[in-house]
Amino acid sequence: MKKSDFQKILEKHKFLVLDGGMGTMLQAAGLPPGGIPELLNFTDPELITEIHRAYVNAGANVVYTNTFGANRLKMAKTHKSVQNIISTAVANAKRSGAEYVALDIGPIGQLLEPTGTLKFEEAYDIFREQILAGSNADLIVFETMTDLLEVRAAVLAAKENSTKPILVTMTFEENQRTFTGCEIPAMALTLEGLGVDAIGVNCSLGPEELRPIVDKLCEWTTLPVIVKPNAGLPDPVTNSYNFDPEKFASCCGKFIDSGAVILGGCCGTTPAHIEAVSRMLKTRTPIQRKHSIPSAVCSANQTIIIDQPRVIGERINPTGKKRFKQALIEQDIDYILNQAIQQIDAGADILDVNVGLPDIDEIAMMRTAVKAIQGITDTPLQLDTTNPEALEAGLRCYNGKPIVNSVNGEEESLQTILPLVKKYGAAVVGLTLDRNGIPKTAEGRFAIAEKILNRALSLGIRREDVYIDCLTLTASAEQEGVMQTLDALHRVKTELGLHTVLGVSNISFGLPNRELVTRNFLTMALYAGLDLPIINPNTASMMSCVRTYKLLANIDKNAVDYIAHYGTESPESKPVASPGSSGMTLESAILSGLKSEAGNLTGTLLESSEPMQIVNEMLIPALDKAGADFESGKSFLPQLISSASAAQAAFEVIKNHLCKSNGESVSRGTIVLATVKGDIHDIGKNIVKILLENYGYEVIDLGKDVPYEAVAEATERSHAPLVGLSALMTTTLPSMEATIQLLHERCPWCKTVVGGAVLTADYAEKIGADFYAKDAKETVDIAKRIFQN
Amino acid sequence: MSLKESHKPYPASWAEMYYPNYSLREKLTAVDRRQAFRYMGLPENPDQKFLDLAEICEKKLLQAIQPRYCWKLFQKSDLEFLLLGQDIQKHLMNCQEMILFCATLSQHTDTCIRLVQTSDVLAGMMTDAMASALTEQLCDAAELEILENFKQKYATWRFSPGYGDFPLSVQSDILALLQAQKTTGICLTESNLMTPRKSVTAIIGLSDQPVEKTRKGCTACNLSKNCPYRMKGVHCN
Repeated sequence: MKKSDFQKILEKHKFLVLDGGMGTMLQAAGLPPGGIPELLNFTDPELITEIHRAYVNAGANVVYTNTFGANRLKMAKTHKSVQNIISTAVANAKRSGAEYVALDIGPIGQLLEPTGTLKFEEAYDIFREQILAGSNADLIVFETMTDLLEVRAAVLAAKENSTKPILVTMTFEENQRTFTGCEIPAMALTLEGLGVDAIGVNCSLGPEELRPIVDKLCEWTTLPVIVKPNAGLPDPVTNSYNFDPEKFASCCGKFIDSGAVILGGCCGTTPAHIEAVSRMLKTRTPIQRKHSIPSAVCSANQTIIIDQPRVIGERINPTGKKRFKQALIEQDIDYILNQAIQQIDAGADILDVNVGLPDIDEIAMMRTAVKAIQGITDTPLQLDTTNPEALEAGLRCYNGKPIVNSVNGEEESLQTILPLVKKYGAAVVGLTLDRNGIPKTAEGRFAIAEKILNRALSLGIRREDVYIDCLTLTASAEQEGVMQTLDALHRVKTELGLHTVLGVSNISFGLPNRELVTRNFLTMALYAGLDLPIINPNTASMMSCVRTYKLLANIDKNAVDYIAHYGTESPESKPVASPGSSGMTLESAILSGLKSEAGNLTGTLLESSEPMQIVNEMLIPALDKAGADFESGKSFLPQLISSASAAQAAFEVIKNHLCKSNGESVSRGTIVLATVKGDIHDIGKNIVKILLENYGYEVIDLGKDVPYEAVAEATERSHAPLVGLSALMTTTLPSMEATIQLLHERCPWCKTVVGGAVLTADYAEKIGADFYAKDAKETVDIAKRIFQN
Repeated sequence: MSLKESHKPYPASWAEMYYPNYSLREKLTAVDRRQAFRYMGLPENPDQKFLDLAEICEKKLLQAIQPRYCWKLFQKSDLEFLLLGQDIQKHLMNCQEMILFCATLSQHTDTCIRLVQTSDVLAGMMTDAMASALTEQLCDAAELEILENFKQKYATWRFSPGYGDFPLSVQSDILALLQAQKTTGICLTESNLMTPRKSVTAIIGLSDQPVEKTRKGCTACNLSKNCPYRMKGVHCN
């Protein structure tokens, strides 16, 4: 069946009726607690076919195969192959005489990274196996999903390995979110973008509670909407669902008013419920839904509607930033994450992510950065790269609907970038330039914008998803071009009806008092119709410019946002505290754990002292003292960490200084750290890391759940003399042993130090570790011995 | 098996007996700081600096959590396959029924800890310790609500996989019986760890006769061998 046929099926049937609960029927037929429903495909195929047939006789057009959990992880203990289970289940369903058999696929049963340990790529592979095994089915259904990222892996696997129509239903709570926090608009935008054929909701709630959820979904998608509710809510007293078939069907009737056209039942529903629904549908016709969806981008948990100026933070970008370049080369992801956090705190709505540098593997870095940033924030991202492979790597693992930055009017760019935008359902920034460069006139830029738009439309990209950048030139070099940019922007906005984006900082290059020029240009651009300013949100005057504009343009109604930000500010500028004025020394700042003081004092000290001198004569002695207090029981671990955090602030100032002056690094040796495979508890390892770093060691932090090979590879590459491994759970100690063994084979020069709550010195020796450290301080002592410094 | 039975309009089968929408958010309005400080290795009355930090972390944590739990009643005789080891057998001695139970502070809690930790390791440690304390509070509150349904019975304390010789491996069965992914969002990793991290499974025994409520002693704890409290000659609880 070709995908385009799904619309024809719907047109033919007016409504499509799905089946009801399978698990419900199997348990009622005697499936014992702990029993595996998928095995009944072999042990009692007649029962399975009979259930399917009961639903067909009740009026279901579509039956779901008995394969909800038939993936290689859940089926491992059955000793049957996924191929065997699924093909048998499809045959059982086909025998029922159903009009359409849908290959039913539920969640994998493990959480994806970073909360779980399952990788996106593994999830894809698991789904791929199921889809290939179900080649005889007519449709593919993913149901009871709660994680949008897992759904993305599933849909990509389906689209890349079959041509069948794809139906997706997710499970929402009463707060209109899934367990993982996924919002209804985010689900709709992402899945419609990926090109699935119908979306909807199933399970968890009864028909009454689902109503507002279905209403909202219908608002946010142009796709056919599916509803497969439970038979009401389970009653805690009688242990049964409280809706009889008639009540269920009459409630389902209300979903038709909302716009749904595909109906069925989930837990607690039986053929009698489906019979009632199908009878009810005979008297109804689908309603006409309005088909305009707002222009918006999203992560799984946050949707940003482009209905007013939205700030894109520009700081995750190495251009012109030595410290950022160094972080990329050292794979210092925390540095990038902190750039993200700062911009979000400052008010960025979207973050631009550019991690391109000639010396690094941009494809791998884009993947790592997107995953890491999405692991700590819900802010949507704009993927900024000139490398199409890096772009695809980012698009693939992005959870939600991102912006692609950028395509331009050149043929090659249009041909490589736009198909990726279409495939992954992103929005795209179109730059008004082509192989002749940036046209001087507004007319020329408008023409390129039009060309990009038409090409996007011809590929099926929505008009609402094309944002045009009319390009800022520097006022000092091309003064006459400034108004051309704004004229072009205004025309694109009013004549083409497109949203606009503009990096503004460039305007003031080469002029004195740059901020003044940039800020005024930003106001002019906003007035000309700029929707997405790309700025540094950490500069207060830029954010205040946007907020003031929103106030004056009557967007920020009653100045609520403006007052929230500036309501308590006194008009006089605040006095700036001068560093060191309190007579505090760097040592006392570190011992008291005062971060900003430690940083400020270091800045002052760098004016008169050498960086290494500060490290060796002040930082390390202060940390030694904090360590000694901890060992003698005078202070506690948190106090030691607080000192280490202050020392870290001092180190960051030194690192910045060295970057600017191209000075030598302060490294006292390289140490590899990892929380072993299978373990996700990494707080202890992070404490060790911060302490080691502040003693001047360069730490290669591999993170948590690290494969044995990755530890060995990093140690080989860096030739590190010391590797630290942590594990919290008894269940993951064997993988600590395996990691040590591999290190012995591949990196015989390196020593290993291990730690973690359940470890003992005896056990450390037994698994072949060279050292056991009872706490972070002891790890530092061991490092000092190994490096003899 | 026959299909006849399954035509009952309201199947009252085992898998339907869960209550997926229990949230105790409104009951978890403050963290047991004494316990959190203890998990961190802080004294009972730490410096003002730590109290200030606790204030900030607690606020962020309480905003992030989406606590959930679910439970189900079983006849003990139906689940003998689950009761591995002597300790759980002893614990459920004289019990005819048992409650399987799981609870979680949700994935949002993991994200919150990751976020806080990225910019400040100490705050990360504080938030993590507070989340652990809060998980216990969630379990206590949930247990009270559950036992409201069994006022006429005597209940044991919560016994979790990993206590004594009750193996962690039964976690997968408990979670499957509770349909935990669907009801609470809890899953196991390949190495049998629960995710989200701040999650608990437990068994509560029910009996018609009074049960001996022995204290949750150190022998039941798998950290007893190198417990810092025991080394100092004190207890954690």
